[in-house]
Amino acid sequence: MLNDSPGSPRRREVSDLYATVLEVVKRYHGAARITRISYGAGMPVDRLRNFVERLQSLGLLRSEEVDGRPVYDITPRGQEFLDTYWKMRGYIEVLEQPPDPDRRGVRRR
Amino acid sequence: MTETRVPRGGKVRLGALAGDLRVERDSQIEVEGALAVSGRARFEGDAEVRGDMECGSFRSEDGTVRVRGHLFVVEDLETHDGAVEVEGELKARHVDADRGLTVQGAAAAETFDVGGRLEGAQTLAAKKVSVGGKFRLAGKLTADTVEAGGSVDLREVDLETLEVGGVVRLAGGVVRSSIEVGGKFSSDAPIEFGKIEVGGIAQFHETAKGGDIEAGGMMSADRDLTFEDLEIGGLGTIGGNGKGRNVEVGGRFTVRGSLEITGKLEVGGQISVGELLTGNSAEVGGTIEARKAVFASDAEIGGAVVTREGFKAARISLGRKSRATGPLVGGRIEIDTRARAEDLYGDTVELGDKAEARRVVARRVSLGEGASAAEVVYTETLELKAGASVRSPPQKVATLPAFPL
Repeated sequence: MLNDSPGSPRRREVSDLYATVLEVVKRYHGAARITRISYGAGMPVDRLRNFVERLQSLGLLRSEEVDGRPVYDITPRGQEFLDTYWKMRGYIEVLEQPPDPDRRGVRRR
Repeated sequence: MTETRVPRGGKVRLGALAGDLRVERDSQIEVEGALAVSGRARFEGDAEVRGDMECGSFRSEDGTVRVRGHLFVVEDLETHDGAVEVEGELKARHVDADRGLTVQGAAAAETFDVGGRLEGAQTLAAKKVSVGGKFRLAGKLTADTVEAGGSVDLREVDLETLEVGGVVRLAGGVVRSSIEVGGKFSSDAPIEFGKIEVGGIAQFHETAKGGDIEAGGMMSADRDLTFEDLEIGGLGTIGGNGKGRNVEVGGRFTVRGSLEITGKLEVGGQISVGELLTGNSAEVGGTIEARKAVFASDAEIGGAVVTREGFKAARISLGRKSRATGPLVGGRIEIDTRARAEDLYGDTVELGDKAEARRVVARRVSLGEGASAAEVVYTETLELKAGASVRSPPQKVATLPAFPL
């Protein structure tokens, strides 16, 4: 998702998809319905249900019934996952960049 | 209230309508002047309105409604499992779209709540914008809060808060309170902000001015950067000058111009400043490089100090086996075991065991066991422990020569 910008496509990996789902859920502050998550994450509902179940089993998402329908919210552990994920993605992008060619240190001449 | 019904696949011509409008799927409405619905407009499936439309409220489901003109809704616009495309301006009280919303003209509402994608070709004004997926706007965005789960691509902004899960790219503007981005943030024009927190990478391609900056992975500013506290997990670069209060960088920090801070500099790895580096105190695990560096209180360096014009602090402490290139000037200078330095100027200079220095000028000088100096000039005391040596005879003088810096 870090490269989710014009001109630099990067195929989404499974960890990216889990992070995407969590980010979308987080936006709804405890009231994320499965269809809204589906539109936000760009994932069909049937596939999304598997992701949501896995995230729940890992304690990264929780759900409750509101008006007879499940709504989802991110857990503190889910937030911890996101923090770690983004930090790691940042490092990976830095490591994948070529070294700065014009780094000008103030070495003694 | 009367209801006007457009049957499935119907093609009708409508103008002003008293009452409600119900449009079944795959319908087309040609517009006489403007389609003005005094009550509710309800669309069931795909439909097209070929002209301007006004209504009391707007609801669509299971399809895309295209309005080939302006759309003005007195109350709420709501889509359920559907999307709306507006070729002109859009005005409504609240907008709640499940799948997506596209607006070619200016858009204004108190709230925009879009599940999937929100796209606008011109300006958008709202109190709150919440997008589950992607948000792209070609004109100015004015809002109190903006939240998006996926990515955001904006031009000029005037916001209170911006919170995005994935990637944010914006031209510039003002975010008065805070910017929180999970993945990557980049700005292409000057930007001002209250504070910014980015999980991955923060990039400022033009000048940036704000409060606290926190980047989990990397931060780069191509031009000048003004901040309060700057905290970077990995790498940091400033292409121009940096000015702020405290700096904490886990890895490497490079500043092409000068870095002026009023508080503490903490760098886990290496810091390189092209021009002047100033601050209150410094703690650097690795190497510190600058044309000249001046700290008001303590400076602890684990690895190396490299300056052209000198490094000054009230107390300088160089770690074991460290290296100093360029003069060190301080009240108290402590060079640990096996460290090597060039010229040292201070009130008190202590060389640890087997440490080496070129020239030592101080009121009080102490050389540890096996330590050596090429030259020592002092006014009060010189202590030489076992095996310590001074190549030229030490000179005790009444007044020390002027220190550099």
